[in-house]
Amino acid sequence: MGKVKLKYFSRIRETIGKTSELVEIKSTNIQDLIEELQAKGEQYSVLKGRDFAVYSAVDQNIVTDVKTSIEGATEIAFFPPMTGG
Amino acid sequence: MLNKIIVAVQKSDFDLNSELETLKLKTEKAGAVVIFVGKVRDLDDDNLRYLEIESFEDLAKSQINEICDAAANKWDLEFILVKHRFGRLKINDNIVLVITSSKHRKNAYEASEFIMEYLKSNVPFWKKEVADKTQKWVENS
Repeated sequence: MGKVKLKYFSRIRETIGKTSELVEIKSTNIQDLIEELQAKGEQYSVLKGRDFAVYSAVDQNIVTDVKTSIEGATEIAFFPPMTGG
Repeated sequence: MLNKIIVAVQKSDFDLNSELETLKLKTEKAGAVVIFVGKVRDLDDDNLRYLEIESFEDLAKSQINEICDAAANKWDLEFILVKHRFGRLKINDNIVLVITSSKHRKNAYEASEFIMEYLKSNVPFWKKEVADKTQKWVENS
């Protein structure tokens, strides 16, 4: 795959301990990426969504299916349920 | 397609009177203006020190634009304005402003509610309540 910018928000940012990072990844979909990240460190297990739903946005498009392809993506964001308004 | 849509995701406050005056210049055919303001409220069981609103700014702006387009397609509107703040806010500070304007009130009322419902759970903002005894991320209600 190559390098991709990962962004984290809210509770996920707090658990992972950073707002963003540039990482070299091999995965081609969200689900595999989460596994790949978890192998780097236990803090990434928050992305599995056991405690709350985890949303992602691939190049600023919100995706709901973890099998969504991330091939060619330059930015992937992870965040909990949104609470605007 | 309605071309009078204004969307902003910003740290600064908004001024209701100046927004209303701007709107009036652009909507001479509208007879109704519905203004919704969401503001910071104190907690029932603790004293709120501040509300921290985090945002994914670019995506928030595009998501709000999308819902404004959807509202403009669904109702006959003359004007839509949505401004949503982020950052550290105190009790009674403004959070969000939604203004909808139409020839008659029904469309403006319905579009305002539609936009706010969407904003609650589909636009990337997250609120953290920091109070005297506790601090927690707000869950959707």
